[in-house]
Order: sequence, then C-alpha cells, then structure tokens
Amino acid sequence: MHGYLGRILRVDLSRGAISDEALNEDYARRYVGGSGLAARYLYDVLDASTDPLGPDNPLLFMTGPLVGTSMTSAGRYSVCARSPLTRIWGEANSGGFFGPELRYAGYDGLWITGAAKAPVWLSIVEGKAELHDAGRVWGSDTYVTQDRLRESLGEAKVRVACIGLAGEHRVKLAGIANDHGRFAARTGLGAVMGSKNLKAIAVRGSGKVPLHAPDEFKAITNQILALFKGDTPSQSLREFGTAGYLNLAHMLGDLPIRYFQLGEHAPADALSGVDMAEQFLRRNTACHKCIIACGRETRSPAYDDDKVDGPEYEALGALGSLLMIFDLQAVIHASHLCNLYGMDVISLGVTLGLACELFERGLLTPADTGGLDIRYGDAEMVFRLIELTSRREGFGAVLAEGNAALAERAGVPELSATVNRLEVPMHDPRAYMGMAVTYALSPRGACHMQGDMYELDLGRDNGEDINLVPGDRHDPNIEKGRTAARLQAWRNLYNSLTLCQFENPPAPLLVAALNAATGWSLAAEDLLPIGRRIVNVKRLLNMKLGLTRANDRLPDLLLKPLEKGGAAGYVPDMPSLLSGAYAEFGWDPETGRPPVESTL
Amino acid sequence: MAVKFPSEEWIKELEVSLNSSESYAQAAATWEGDQIFVILPDDNYHDTTYFYIDLQHGKASGARQLRSPDEQKALFTSSAPFGTWRKVLESRLDPIQAMFSNKIKVVGSMAAVQRTPKATYELTKVAASIDTDFGP
Repeated sequence: MHGYLGRILRVDLSRGAISDEALNEDYARRYVGGSGLAARYLYDVLDASTDPLGPDNPLLFMTGPLVGTSMTSAGRYSVCARSPLTRIWGEANSGGFFGPELRYAGYDGLWITGAAKAPVWLSIVEGKAELHDAGRVWGSDTYVTQDRLRESLGEAKVRVACIGLAGEHRVKLAGIANDHGRFAARTGLGAVMGSKNLKAIAVRGSGKVPLHAPDEFKAITNQILALFKGDTPSQSLREFGTAGYLNLAHMLGDLPIRYFQLGEHAPADALSGVDMAEQFLRRNTACHKCIIACGRETRSPAYDDDKVDGPEYEALGALGSLLMIFDLQAVIHASHLCNLYGMDVISLGVTLGLACELFERGLLTPADTGGLDIRYGDAEMVFRLIELTSRREGFGAVLAEGNAALAERAGVPELSATVNRLEVPMHDPRAYMGMAVTYALSPRGACHMQGDMYELDLGRDNGEDINLVPGDRHDPNIEKGRTAARLQAWRNLYNSLTLCQFENPPAPLLVAALNAATGWSLAAEDLLPIGRRIVNVKRLLNMKLGLTRANDRLPDLLLKPLEKGGAAGYVPDMPSLLSGAYAEFGWDPETGRPPVESTL
Repeated sequence: MAVKFPSEEWIKELEVSLNSSESYAQAAATWEGDQIFVILPDDNYHDTTYFYIDLQHGKASGARQLRSPDEQKALFTSSAPFGTWRKVLESRLDPIQAMFSNKIKVVGSMAAVQRTPKATYELTKVAASIDTDFGP
C-alpha cells in the first residue's frame, strides 16, 4: 500500500492495552486521510448517546498520504472525536513536525479509547508504543511538558503533542499543543484528551513513507515548490505571518471589533502584523518542508515574555480588537498564556467578548463573577480570566463551558456568537458573503478553515480546473453559495490530505503528486467529488448526533448590519446562499440530508 | 484631453492628481515608500515601461518614466502586463485582489502596502480618475 504506512495504533487506556490494526484500505481510498478518514471511521461507532468526555468517545490522531514526504506544506495532523464543546463532530489540526514524525514512527494514525486510572503519557518510538506514568508532568504547562518528555526519551527530535492545565481540567476550550506553540486548537479536543487522563503523546522514528513512484513524486513536488518561491501571497506570509492581513481586514470590515458590533475603529490598526514584525518579531518559524515560514516567534518585553509562538491574525482579533485591547504587547502576552495553558484563542476570546458585553449591559454583575469587573479594554482582567478559566476556578468555571453556554446562562442566547456552539472566528460574514455558508455549514461549527472565502475573494485563484475563481465579496446570491460549497469541499479534501492551506498548487499538480505517492489514477476533476464525499460523511455523522437543517444558520449578531467600515450595510442573504450550497452538495432542500449511497 | 498610457506625461499627471487629492493625503498620511511600476508587454502593448514615483506621507514627488529599472532603486516594484494595469485603471480589477492573485507581482517589502491598504486603494482611485488613452 503506497502513500500509507498501513497501520493504526489502537490504545485502550482503561485496560492499558496497545495493539496494531491494519488501515482500512477502502476507507483510505474513499476518504483519503486526516479528518475525512477519521469521520468515516467514527461514523461506524459514534451515536447520540456517546458522552464526549466519557471513555467510549474515541480520540483519533490522523495523518494523510503526503504527510512526511517531500511535498511542501504536508506537515500537519488532524485530531478528531465527538466534541465536548459542540456535542457534534469535532476536528482540529495542527502543523509543525508531529504529524510527519508519527509516520516515521510507523503509523498513519492513533485510535485512543478508554480512560487511564491515573495520568499517563504515550511514547511511540520506532514502531514500539508504551504507556508511562505522567505524574511528573501532570500540572505542567504545555512547553514544560514537551521539554521534559523530550528529555525523558533522550532525543532532541522527539515530537510531543500534549495538553496543558485547560485540558487536564476538561475546559471545553482546550486544545492540544505540539512543537511548543502549534495547536490543534478547536472544538475542545484537549478536554477529551484530559478526560482520558492522557497528558501527552511523544513520537520518534526513522522510517520512510513508501511511495509508488519516488522519482516522479520528487520531480512533481519540486515543481510545486518552485511555484511558491516568489509569489506575492507567500512573500507576504513570510514577512508578516497571518497577522499581516490585519490592517487589510480592518479596512474591509472583516476584523471583528467590540464583540462583532463595530465595523471600524481607528485604534485597531495598532494591532498591525507589520508593526509586530518590525518591533517584536524574533524570528520566523516553519513547519515540515515549508518554504513560507509564516510562523512567528515574538517577544513582549513589557510582560517579560522573551519567546512567544505567535500570535496569529486570529489571536490578534480574538484577544485584541474583539475585546477592545489595542496594545500589541498585551495581546502577545495573552496569546502566550493561552499557549502555556493550552486553550483555543478564538473560542476563549469570543467567550471573553461576550462576558464584556454582558457586563456592559448589566446582564453580568460582580455578584456573578466573584467580584470581578469585566470590561472591554482591560488587558489585566483578560490575563486573570485566562488563568481562572484554565483551572476552572471561580468565574473561570463558567467561561470554561464556552460562549453559547454563557449566553444561555445569562438568558440571552441571541447574543451568542457561535454556529453549532463553536465560536465564530475573526472573519466577518458581513464582509465576505461566502463566509456565511462556510460558517453555517461547516461540519465542526463556525470555522474559517472549512472554506476560506476571504482568501478566494481577496484574489487567491485556485484555478478553473476546480471552478474556484475570485468573485465579488459582497455578492449574496445563489452562485456565491455554490462557490462557497465547492470551496468547503475543496478544503475538506485539504483537511483530509492534512495539507496547509497557505500553499495551493493547481489541481493537476496536486493530483499528480497524490497519484505518484499512492499509485492511484485520479484525474484533477475527481478531487472535488472526494471533498464533497468527505463533507457529506461528516454531515451524516452530525445528523446521527442530532444536527438538523435548522442548525444551518448564523447567529443573530452577525445578521445585523454594521454601521461603518468596509462591510457597512451588508447582511448575508441566507436563503439564497444556502440554496446554492445545498444544490452544490446534492443535499435534500427540505431536510438538508446528503445522499447516503454515494457518501458511505 | 486624454493622456496616453503609459507615458511620461501620464505618470507626471498622476503625481499632480495625487497631490491635489485630499482623500489620498489622508489615507496615505503614514505611507513612506517609493515605487516602481513596470508595464510589461502583452497582445496590445509591445514595450516594457518603467514608472518611478516617490510617495511620502500623502504627497507624491519625482514621478518620471525610467529608461531602465537600474536607473533608480525603490522600496518595491509592482509588475504586470499592460492589460492588467488597464483593468485596474478602469476599476475592473481590484488592486489588492490583483496582488494576492499574482496578477500584479510585487518585489520588495510589502510593509507599506499591508500597513496602509487604504493608501493603495486611494492611489488607484486617483489614477483611475485620470482621463486616460489606452490606445487602440
């Protein structure tokens, strides 16, 4: 079997049992890998009675067939399970080097069930897996944990994925860290790992990914590499990271400000990624085989932070403009705290934003918050709340349940900024109409990585081969809905190949690389239908878990027009956009159900 | 009377127009950076033309056509075929969209463009307001 190691490691933490299982080759061909393959596997075992934080909720780590090869941007891995935050399909993915190292250690993926009686960590070295007592690192932050386990195994190249305090305390906003500050952040899968008493997974190996046609594969990946050496988007990402988008986002009305209620606010420009690069950047960091190196390693002298991973654009928005904090150093520090404790900056920021808004409206008082005044613009309060949330202490225990739970608790569910209980990222669908479809239909709840319409309509041309070309960002019509659905299918394919979305080779080159790796005979036009099948299997799984067509909606907050800025006056026309997307996906217009026969 | 594009006359007209635009002055108040624009040949234009313009804090100066790209260094250089520039100047192509889709290739620091994108839009608006003759 080329392109795959052909093995999944099964770990039952309740019994301490470890075994190998052959990869389901049929599933791999139909769902590729990553989150698509995991969804197909989990479709067979999850149902509405599965407790997300119970031992029966499997936690899957998955790679794709190109991961760990010479293919640029193929350094990611996916983590999947039923989400404790949303109670539907949960997926998160991360870059760095953990995914490739897992493959070198001999596995395409991990399937973890049960719950250990006491905290443990798992090592997988050269195909041999062992469980270890995690007493020495339980309670440690994500950086200390990674460093200590690397030392334990005595090899600098050991890669560790772990949880911080937030995961240990089953905070529903907890993510999984690797390579210090890289995160599989979304949908609370760090809490699932914590519920299993699994602190970390350390991997090391020297194996190779078996390729069908190695020389041809190398030639294709070199050709792909050459495409990105001098192009403008890559150059921009290299210079300023994702943060470089912030000023443009602000101008276009895409940057959420004051809990999604202001369309522009001049001080927001102070969060500029350009300024960050000029004043606080220590160096760029790159994932496996990446030539862009969009990762930031920054410092925040005002808070004595000498080495911080990030912040990304999302963190600058979620912990900055959304909370009316416009001091770059404060946002860098807040982002660092989230890294240390292992929390999703988007979900946390949007939850804190709601807390500020509720306090402003008198719907939260010091009597509810343990005496805290939670105001917009108070960076010190944000630091305090991050600490409290990571330990579920005081009002932090309320915040640890996420934005939707907080809105319900305050009796104002209409103020929640979530789709299917996942907090909305820092791209406003009033600025890019296509994002309304991306969020409303994303399999994991509001997620920008399930269809980056802001990138497409900003100009990134994916090519006519897959009919994804830039359009007018304000078009609210059926065709925009169809385009957004196609992009969602395309990104679901990417998330199954576990490729980074910042390098986008033309479809003919991508399929050539996939064929040379696997020995398959796919054509470029086969790729979108595979992506559509992956969207559909996640949709069917979500329907098994209780999702209905009524869930395909945006929060009320994002359906009110902004008064100022580049998105002023625009509101997504949901019926038109959704009807286009349903038609593109082949879903029943009444029930929203995908065709079962062509999906499973 | 329409000004021929590309020509020395046109880039000088751009300088004059920028210096009389209040909205450009505001949008580019923090902009610091000179630029070279390269108009590359295509089916409708058979030469390569280089424009230089210095842009500082909302004011333009030194605009001229260069004989070669080596004649003057600039913070960044934007290159595109004649037809692409024409679309931008006729407001049929968004300038930032053109950069991010590699239709306009940028070499050099992107800092000024990304820190003050409004300046790029205002510059384009001013350029589009020039009565321009694109030839047959």
